Amino acid sequence: MLPLFASCGEPMRGIAIGDAEPAPPLQLTAFDGARFDIAAHKGSVVLVYFGYTHCPDVCPTTLSDWAKARRALEDDSAKVKFVFVSVDPERDTPELAQVYARQFDRAFIGLSGTVEEIESLKTAWNIAAYPEGDTRGRAYSVAHPAYTFVVGRDGRLRYLYEPGVRSEDLAKDLRKLL
Amino acid sequence: MKTWQKIFASCCSVLVLTVAACDRAPVVTPVTLTVHNAWARPADSGSSTALYFILANSGHGADTLVGVASTEAEVTELHVSTQRGGMMHMSQVRTLPVPAEDSVTFRPLGAHVMMMRVLRRLTVADTVAATLTFSSGQQVVVRAGVRPN
Repeated sequence: MLPLFASCGEPMRGIAIGDAEPAPPLQLTAFDGARFDIAAHKGSVVLVYFGYTHCPDVCPTTLSDWAKARRALEDDSAKVKFVFVSVDPERDTPELAQVYARQFDRAFIGLSGTVEEIESLKTAWNIAAYPEGDTRGRAYSVAHPAYTFVVGRDGRLRYLYEPGVRSEDLAKDLRKLL
Repeated sequence: MKTWQKIFASCCSVLVLTVAACDRAPVVTPVTLTVHNAWARPADSGSSTALYFILANSGHGADTLVGVASTEAEVTELHVSTQRGGMMHMSQVRTLPVPAEDSVTFRPLGAHVMMMRVLRRLTVADTVAATLTFSSGQQVVVRAGVRPN
């Protein structure tokens, strides 16, 4: 009898998306006026996180973990794009989003858009994001998706990763997707 | 400040004093709450960060964290991050029990001191401070070293 799982590798840590559909559209104008289009990055693995720059805990934790994973990828890191999208268009300009993302790693891409663009994005990606706490001033927080979305080289949405995933585990999984 | 106060202040990172009537010796409440391993991530001015640390209570009685303040941010609050239904939420917590002879860990994706819209750029090797106030009257100053992780 053949041993079970003999050919199985280490399981992926992410949550597999059963019927991997093509990634929803993600087209926004970057701080320098260049158009970012996720469809143009077929051939690369793309990580997408929807957060906001005033986020004091979860977003910086996620982006720090991304940065560690990217370093662990070494030469392969060029084949992976890390995209932070602000879902707080009232406060985050494309420039702020880019400066924020680059705090963690110079290769990270930070994006924002108009209120209308972000609303369209939320619909397309089937995600929610909304202000919470004391929204009278500028110091409110924003509820946002917990997961990192991972798009495979074929442009299909493949995995979701929980916040707090170990960076070495994320790096291992990303290597398998390359 | 009186001489004894200066000496005491220079010896302790946390200071708990109850000064009795002026003609009597001051009563010094034993320090039972201490903070260890405090750190915060870098942040640009106007951006946000969080303080993470271990809060230890060596006393025989429980205490309750009832407030946090800092002059380093527009808003400083005690918060907890929670994940519900695929969403991340951050909620303010008004009080947090600190059991006797135990510790509470403030950590990423959990309880933290939220500092929103910091008033200066916080870079690696800076220190950022906040003061915790407890129901016992004790106050503990958190001095967090700024580092990426």
